[in-house]
Amino acid sequence: MKCPRCVQVIHRGATVCPHCGFGLAEVDAKYGGEDVSLRRLADVAGLIRNRERGKVSAALDGFSRKFPQLFFAVYTGSGQGGGNLRQFGFWLMNRAAFEDVPVDRPNEAGILLVIDADSKSASVTWGYMLDPFLTEEDTFQCLSRAHAYWLEGRYADGTVRVIAQLEKVLKKKAAQARRDPERFERKVAPPQRTGEIARRIREGHKHAAAKTTEVAR
Amino acid sequence: MKIAAWILSAGMAFGAAQPPIPAWQPDDLKALKSGELIPGLLLLTEDATPESPAPEVPAPPAEEIAEAAKPAPEVAEQYLEAYFGARPEKFLVDPQGLLGAKDFRDRENFLKYHSGDSEIDLFVYLFDGHQEIPSEVREEEIVERHFSSGKPAVVVYYYLGAPQKSDIYVSPLISDVVSAAEQRRALASSVEEALEKPDKLAQFEAFCVQLAIRIYWMERAAGLVRDVPSQPVTRPEVSPVAEPEGKHGKIAAKIHEVVAQWGASAAIMTASVLTVVSGVWFARRKAKYRFPVFDVPPRLGGAHAAGIGAVISFGSTTQSPSSQRNDVPDYLGL
Repeated sequence: MKCPRCVQVIHRGATVCPHCGFGLAEVDAKYGGEDVSLRRLADVAGLIRNRERGKVSAALDGFSRKFPQLFFAVYTGSGQGGGNLRQFGFWLMNRAAFEDVPVDRPNEAGILLVIDADSKSASVTWGYMLDPFLTEEDTFQCLSRAHAYWLEGRYADGTVRVIAQLEKVLKKKAAQARRDPERFERKVAPPQRTGEIARRIREGHKHAAAKTTEVAR
Repeated sequence: MKIAAWILSAGMAFGAAQPPIPAWQPDDLKALKSGELIPGLLLLTEDATPESPAPEVPAPPAEEIAEAAKPAPEVAEQYLEAYFGARPEKFLVDPQGLLGAKDFRDRENFLKYHSGDSEIDLFVYLFDGHQEIPSEVREEEIVERHFSSGKPAVVVYYYLGAPQKSDIYVSPLISDVVSAAEQRRALASSVEEALEKPDKLAQFEAFCVQLAIRIYWMERAAGLVRDVPSQPVTRPEVSPVAEPEGKHGKIAAKIHEVVAQWGASAAIMTASVLTVVSGVWFARRKAKYRFPVFDVPPRLGGAHAAGIGAVISFGSTTQSPSSQRNDVPDYLGL
């Protein structure tokens, strides 16, 4: 878990970045504090041709069909700035109201792809539900698949590639989570308090002493 | 000039030194003038040499004259029936046993071979060289009687050791088409071949071979055999598929055998595998993946999301995606 601005690792449940003090309030001040209404495929920058929209929409539908809890959204805009793409994604995932996404799939279950045509950059942001299952490296692999297409200006094809690769990653993670859910739960469990740790250590000592006495007898 | 005259005169002197020209004797010269002697007459007359007196040949005695007048011995009467009683069953008729068993078998085999190869049989009546056929036996009548029916035949009366005495007759079936002159030529040719051999057995063998050859021409003259116009022997058309068909036939037979033995099992197995594969494919296509939902405390004031993934640039076509990965912190909202 990293800060969208300083890209430093932050602890679970941090209300602001302990390194740079970043929080939602900062981006709200920049982009607005009100919710924005969007569709899953919001091609604001006009990067995707009309005849290619069906291809992307079909990929989005297929993703939703395979993962009944999740949805995938695409936003193409400009003027966000390369360095601010993480912050914009973070803000959009918290302020967007997706019109064509069922209400049983909240933004916590969403994955947002932001493509900035001006800075020629793209980023991925996801909701809390996917925190245990996705990593920055996973999203980099997905974006790498689209890199060649985006270089040629084939944004629709690149987006479809990202979705296909992400499906593979999530299928694998879903299977792993079904076999060993605790492994993923530990990644997002709240940190134990210091007093609790000390108590466990003392109890452990007591158990050890009792076993030693029984053996001596 | 003087030298030339000297050489000429010297040569004439040398020529004058040769032997003298013959001169006429006075008697010869007188006879020549009187016409009694004609120069060169000796060369033009046959009676160049005086005849030598003929030697005195003694007159043959009366016994010898009597023996010379005695005709050659006739074939014994006991063999006549065997010779001329019926159409011979073998091609070589030798009731007297003039040939040895082996020679008889060889010649008989040859004549059999000829009979199988020709439209005209060759029958050989064998007699000894000094024998004569009795006068009461008429050869032409024998041939007409025995060889009028059946396969056309050439009948030869051969005299062992005296092939020049041989006679030839043909059966009435071919006497019209094979002229007597042709028959005589065939016989003469065979006799010539025979006379070139040193002994009588070799003569007989050569005679038979040559006559068989001549009969070959006779049967063509008689129209019994027609030469088939030679045609180019065409290579049998072997279609390119023919050989592969054989191979394919074997393979097809093998396949049929395997199918007959394992076809049902294989079909069931294949259908099962296809069903399973298609079922798996369909199930995977229709599969839905769910994630366990954990309680994740919100971060950075975001109510719904704070998962920050990778940022990648696609501005350079010469750099790899990894090198264009944006890990630079955007401090202070830059």
